[in-house]
Amino acid sequence: MARRRKSLAPKGRDDDVRIIAGFALGSILTVIMILVVIIAPPATIGPSEGELAPDFSSDSYNGGSWVNFQLSDTFDYEWDEGEYGEWILIQFIDTDCPYCWSEGETMSNLYSQWSNDVEFITIAVELSISGHDSDRQEIEAFRDKTNYGTDDNDGNGCNSGRDNCINRPGTPHNWNYVEATSGIMKDWEITGTPFLAILQPDGYVAWNQYENNGESIEEAMQRVVGGNQ
Amino acid sequence: MNETLNDPVLLSFIGGLVISSYFLIQGKGKDTTKLLISSLAFAGVGIISSTYTYIIHNKMVVQGATSFCSSEGIVQCGSVIGDPQWNNLFGIPWGVFGIISFSLLIFLSLSLYLDRHAKWAGDFLNYSWWAALAGIPFVALLVIIELTQVEDAPHICPFCTIAHISLIGYVFSTHYLRKNRDAGKWSSTE
Repeated sequence: MARRRKSLAPKGRDDDVRIIAGFALGSILTVIMILVVIIAPPATIGPSEGELAPDFSSDSYNGGSWVNFQLSDTFDYEWDEGEYGEWILIQFIDTDCPYCWSEGETMSNLYSQWSNDVEFITIAVELSISGHDSDRQEIEAFRDKTNYGTDDNDGNGCNSGRDNCINRPGTPHNWNYVEATSGIMKDWEITGTPFLAILQPDGYVAWNQYENNGESIEEAMQRVVGGNQ
Repeated sequence: MNETLNDPVLLSFIGGLVISSYFLIQGKGKDTTKLLISSLAFAGVGIISSTYTYIIHNKMVVQGATSFCSSEGIVQCGSVIGDPQWNNLFGIPWGVFGIISFSLLIFLSLSLYLDRHAKWAGDFLNYSWWAALAGIPFVALLVIIELTQVEDAPHICPFCTIAHISLIGYVFSTHYLRKNRDAGKWSSTE
């Protein structure tokens, strides 16, 4: 009768310690989540009303030069509802979009009425549409209403190349024009232009054009900003 | 800069790294238990420092600033964790990636520590090694971002660096654990 040799190799434990490790890790993660929620709960970030506006950092044209611009630098984190503060109007445009072309005048009018209480920021995107190619010169010309392109619908200039940028409706826009990146468009869920949003002084979205069909920007400014100043 | 380096939280993290390194040096080539403790300690420091950077991130996003870390000088967090272009990957803060990654490493190391002779131990040791190695390119990317990409670069975020060093330390721990195993010293303890 053959004798069984006792193995000298160490044998593992009978119970599955991976379950214990899993529970231990679960406990650690629970403590971490509780700590984070107590010390610094994460904000809901997005373009919808009530959310903290997605921050971005990009080059912007201020009328003289292109400089770095960060949206959150305009936020007043100490602001409380009912207090005076500078609200923020965000406009997304494409310099070749016909609706943005005509909205130029609306923006000029809004600026003349609200510039003391509202910071205006225009973000220039480039939609993936034929004839919507633009560059910094075109953005500068659109903002400043300067000579760029022709009125011959030859593809040169603003408004899908139909117009010389100097003929844009409205007055020159004396606020920052930010050059959009694909990240900004994605974060702001931009599917078309123009798009407008009003932010509270602390950066939370107070009004989103997509969520207020039928309400014009003039009415929205009066209701949201005018009613709070 | 000196103010940042005198931060008691930062000093605690550095202390954690020193202890982890002590176990690594003591266990290297002879004591598997100490190496397992070292890997656990490195992963522990990593998950806590990642949590801390995530808390700083949330504070910066919601309040625009934080008293948890300096926002001026070369060694600071403000320009790194506060930079919306670079402080996340596909919208997820880097701190959250750190928490998830070090959770995986803790699970693997803790399982090995509790039963290093289990049937799955060899596989778990390999998983630890490859998982830690997979994180190294991300560490390199983040260091490049700190040194070249953020506004007014270069900057060094000290708490991010603690997490990076933790991962590198973990790689060394698992490397020596694998060497112990291959040399037949897997069961050895002093």
